[in-house]
Parts: sequence; C-alpha cells; structure tokens
Amino acid sequence: MNAAQLGFWAILLAGAVRLATPITLAALGETLVERCGIVNLGVEGMMALGAFMGVWGASQQSWAVGLILGGAAGGFLGLLMGLAVLKGGVNQIVAGIAITLLGIGLADYFFQIWQPSGRSAVVVPLVPILRLPFLDRLPLIGEALFAQSPLSYLAVVAVVAASWALRRTTPGLRLRSVGDDPEAAQLRGVDVVWVRIATLVLGGALAGFGGATITVGYLGSFSDDVTSGRGYVAIAVVIIGRWSPIGAMLGALLFAVFDSLALLAQSSSVGLPVEFFSSLPYAMTLLALVLTARAQHAPRALGRAFDG
Amino acid sequence: MRQLHRAARERIWLSLALVLLAATVVLLIVVAGANPLLAMKGLLEGAFGDRYAIAETVVQSVPIAIVALGVAPALRAGVFPVGSEGQLAIGAVTATATVFALKGVPAAVALPAGCIAGILGGTAWAFLPALLRARLNVNEILSTLLMNYLAANLVLWLVRTVLGTAEAIATPRSDRLPIEAIIPKLVEGTRLHWGAFAVLLGAAALAYWIRSARGLGFDVFATHRDLAARMGVRDGTAVIGTMLVAGAAAGLAGWIQVAGLQGTLYPSVAGGLGFTGVLVALLGGLRPFGIVIASFVMAILTTGSNGLQTDTGVPSSIAVVAQGLVLLGAALVFAARQRKAREAVADFEAKPAEEIR
Repeated sequence: MNAAQLGFWAILLAGAVRLATPITLAALGETLVERCGIVNLGVEGMMALGAFMGVWGASQQSWAVGLILGGAAGGFLGLLMGLAVLKGGVNQIVAGIAITLLGIGLADYFFQIWQPSGRSAVVVPLVPILRLPFLDRLPLIGEALFAQSPLSYLAVVAVVAASWALRRTTPGLRLRSVGDDPEAAQLRGVDVVWVRIATLVLGGALAGFGGATITVGYLGSFSDDVTSGRGYVAIAVVIIGRWSPIGAMLGALLFAVFDSLALLAQSSSVGLPVEFFSSLPYAMTLLALVLTARAQHAPRALGRAFDG
Repeated sequence: MRQLHRAARERIWLSLALVLLAATVVLLIVVAGANPLLAMKGLLEGAFGDRYAIAETVVQSVPIAIVALGVAPALRAGVFPVGSEGQLAIGAVTATATVFALKGVPAAVALPAGCIAGILGGTAWAFLPALLRARLNVNEILSTLLMNYLAANLVLWLVRTVLGTAEAIATPRSDRLPIEAIIPKLVEGTRLHWGAFAVLLGAAALAYWIRSARGLGFDVFATHRDLAARMGVRDGTAVIGTMLVAGAAAGLAGWIQVAGLQGTLYPSVAGGLGFTGVLVALLGGLRPFGIVIASFVMAILTTGSNGLQTDTGVPSSIAVVAQGLVLLGAALVFAARQRKAREAVADFEAKPAEEIR
C-alpha cells in the first residue's frame, strides 16, 4: 500500500466511525426495546426530532443542551409510543408508523417556523474532537479510533455497558424475561407494562440522542430528511447484530463504511455515478439482512401484544 | 358492576387521549403565531375554496387511494410491505421510458402501454422483497424500506442521465410526455383526470376480494397459518401474491402521477405518497369504502395545508404531524373497540349454556 492509498483508507475509516455513531446509539436503544419484546418502528421519527432539537438547543445555549434536548425529545416520543401500545392497546407497528410521522412532522414544522425557507441555514458549533496524544498519529487507524468526537467514545462505552447490564444485572434479566416470556415474568412479580414503557422511553432517548449526534456531532445544521433512513437502518442492524448491542454496533459500522465511501465518492471523480455509491450503504444493509436471516434468535415474545 | 366501572374509566381515558391529540394541533398552530380558527378556515378554503381546489383535493387523493387499495390485501394477510414509495417511483420511470420509446403512436396505444409498463415496473420492484420474505424469511418491513432508498437513487440517476431533458435546467427532470400519452382531463380547467376511475375499479376489486373464499383464506393466514394451509393458502402464495399486488398498485399510481397529473417525470414523483397510502389503508380499516374516505381526508390535509401556509404562514408540514396524530387516535379507538368485542365474547363464553339458549 502506498501513501496515497493509506491516506484514502484512513479517511474512509475515520468517516465510518463518525457516521456509525448516531446509528449505533439508536440501534442500541432499539436492541433494548426489542429485547423487552417491542418492535419500535418509530426510530426514524425519534432521530429526526432529536436531530432538530440538537441544532436548536445548540444555537440557543450550547451543544450539551442540544444533546440533552435531543435525548429528551426522543424519550418523550418513546413515552407516547409506550402509552399507546401498552395502555391503549395499539398495534406496535401502527404505533411506530404514527410516531415516525409525528417525529418527522414536528421536526420539519418547528424548523420551518424557526428558519422559514429562503434564509441561510443556522450553523451551530460542533462537539469538539477529542484527540488522544500520540495514538492519533498511528497509521491507518489513528484518525479513526483516537481522534473522534467524544460522542463516538460515549457510544462504544454505552454499548459495552448495556451488553454487560443485559447479561449480568437484575434489571437486565428482568428486561430479557419480559421479552421472552411476559406471562411468566408477570407471574414472578415483574411489572411487564412498566418495564416495557420504561425501556421504550430509554430507547427513544437513545434514538433522539443519536439523531442529535448527526447534527451537533458532525453536520452542524438541520435540513429536511437529514436522517435519510438511518432510523430504519438502526432497526435493520439490530436484526443483523442478532439482538446483541455489540452486534448492532458492528452492523452500524458496516453501513457507515459504505456511507463514508459514498461521501468520498461525491468529492472525487470516479467512473461510476454518484447515485451508485449513495445506494451502496442501503444495498449492503439489505444484503446483510438477507445473509443473517437464517439463524435468528429473536426474543420469543417480540412484537406480540401483552394484556396483563 | 366492576366491569361497568372499568368500561367507563376506559372511555374517559380514551376521550382524554383524543382531546389531547387534537389540542396538540391547536397548540402547534398557536406556536406558529396564527389563530387556530382562521387556520381552520384557511385549511378548508385550501381544500374546498373553489372548483379548482375541490378538483385538486380529489386528484390528490387518487394515487393515495390506489396505493392503499393495493396494500390492503397484504395487510389483511398479516404481511406488512412499506415499499410503495419506491415501487411508485419505479412505476413512474418504466411508464415514462415506455412512452418515450413509443414516440409517435396514437393515444389508444400510448395510454395502455404506459399503464401496463407502470404496473410491471412496480411489480418488478416488489419481487425481490417478496421472494426474500417467502423463501428466506427476511423481514419485509425493513427490506421494502431499504428498497425505497435504492429506488430513489436509481430514479435520480435515470432522470439525470438517460431520461433527463436536454434543456439546461438546474433541477433534473424528463421532457414533457407527448400529448398522446397524457391521461385526458375529466373536468376542464382543473387537473382532475380520468385516472380517478382507477380508484373505483380498485375499490370494487378489493370489495370482491374480501368477499371471495380465497380472500377469506388469506385473512385467516394472518392469524392461523395451519388453518389457512388447510383452506389451500400456502405461505409462498400468500406472501408473494399480496406483495406483488401491492407493487402493481403502486406502479399504477406512478403512471397516473406522471401521465395524469404532472406530465413530466420528476425524481420526487413519489413524494411521500407511498407512506401515506399504507397509512390510509390502516386508517380505512383495510376495507374499500373506508380507504376511499381516508384517502380523501388525507388529500384534504395535503391541499388544505398548502392553502393554510399561503393564508396564515403556518408551515404545511403541519399535515404530516396531523397524519401521525390522526393515525394514533384512530388506532386507539380501534383498539378500544376490539377490546370491547373481546370482552363481549368472554362474557358470552362464561355464561352457562341455558342462559344463552
């Protein structure tokens, strides 16, 4: 590998880690939600609203406020979905579609009030990059692993922590029991409805926070369809990662590598059309979905309604 | 007695939830700095203000209704394709390409050719997710959603290159379709065209399907696979069949949008119609009459919110928020009704046999 090639791969990987962060966070939330037996199809809407709240909060106060508001907005949508599904008895898929519409609609609505079209977009300061001395100068992986936004490090820590908590802690066990056999869990004194609503709030908050990391983490501004399907990709990588947080993170990285490639292809002239590269991340996600479809280990009560 | 209390309490909660959902819309309009009553007036004027507005509302409901009628059999069978958005765009492309390839033919050829090409295009785009779901058990919700993004990119590329107009313009689009390929207008001076009759045909077809023995078998498939198998409905047929029908309908809607409404292929031809269609199918209770009504309500929201924006400055994306809230409210009402029906059955079964007689 010569220096130019090495540089290309270094940029590609650094971009991939950055682009994987929001999807990892949202997919982590969705993993937890699905492990307790709920399919949350509202991730896209939660991310969209989180992305908007992130920029708005960052422009009013600071990026930290933006991130908190983004998480809160996602958590609120999660609560709404939880109440609709578990108290109102609404079908999970239908509730998810409604939440997606609500999240995307609210984000666009507030954005248009805040910045009527025609005005130049408000650009907010990004979360500063955290460089680890010396390590960031490692060839190939230095930029990717040791010169990232703190949000990326946070996402990895959250994934590892959740992975441990799911397996080794009582709340983790409760959550899994609710997703595998809610009736038995209820008999043993676990409040299934409460666990599921609380998990949906947490999952929503992670999706909203993930959305905010798109805008406050690396874009700096909001536009309609800024999430462009990343919420759906997050749901897909949960399946690809076989309902494990670390698996979901790896799935998010797969999407992000091709997303990063697409970004690079936009700025350099290659033989193939730009649209080909823009399709690649989605095509690869679909391919991974197909390849992992065989041996599935879905939570046993996933998607099934519970009336206690 | 206790049960009565519970029923009353549930009704109060449900009413409260519905009031809250409605209050959200009012609140949002106030946030935008407009008077909710004036906004309501703006919305109604936008949708029904004059002859043109009414025709516009009807014509907007056409593709939504067609998509919804096509998705309904799949949803009834417990299959959940959300790929209409991409299938509609692909159908629009294949219809446009066919019409341009047949340049110079009379309308009697150009119209059916475009129609068939659109249907085939939409069907073809539905084929892969259908096969993946039936053979490899790949989640059809996610595969169709991902296919939407592939379709969007493919359409963008085609409109930018081979199908693109030679005129020097910033936004990519095709040339105008030849006049022979344009669906004639139904009402002069408006954009309402003969394609609206496809909705009636689709509704009739769905009504027939629901009442047929085969349709019943597919309904059973949603909840009782084994029983459906004994009624002669196999996994593969139900899944692939219904998903292809959904694709065909979306493709038809794609042709109708290009040849009936816009006359030119834009990359944004689908513009959310596919999603709204699935939503309308659910809102309409998966029944033909309900779907036609629901598609009309959604069209009122769309055209009305455009009028709202010009009148009062309330952003038109209030329509998307309203769609979400309406779906949530309708789903709550539906769930409450279903619960009541279930309780009635339980009561009935708990009664001793003599009492029933």
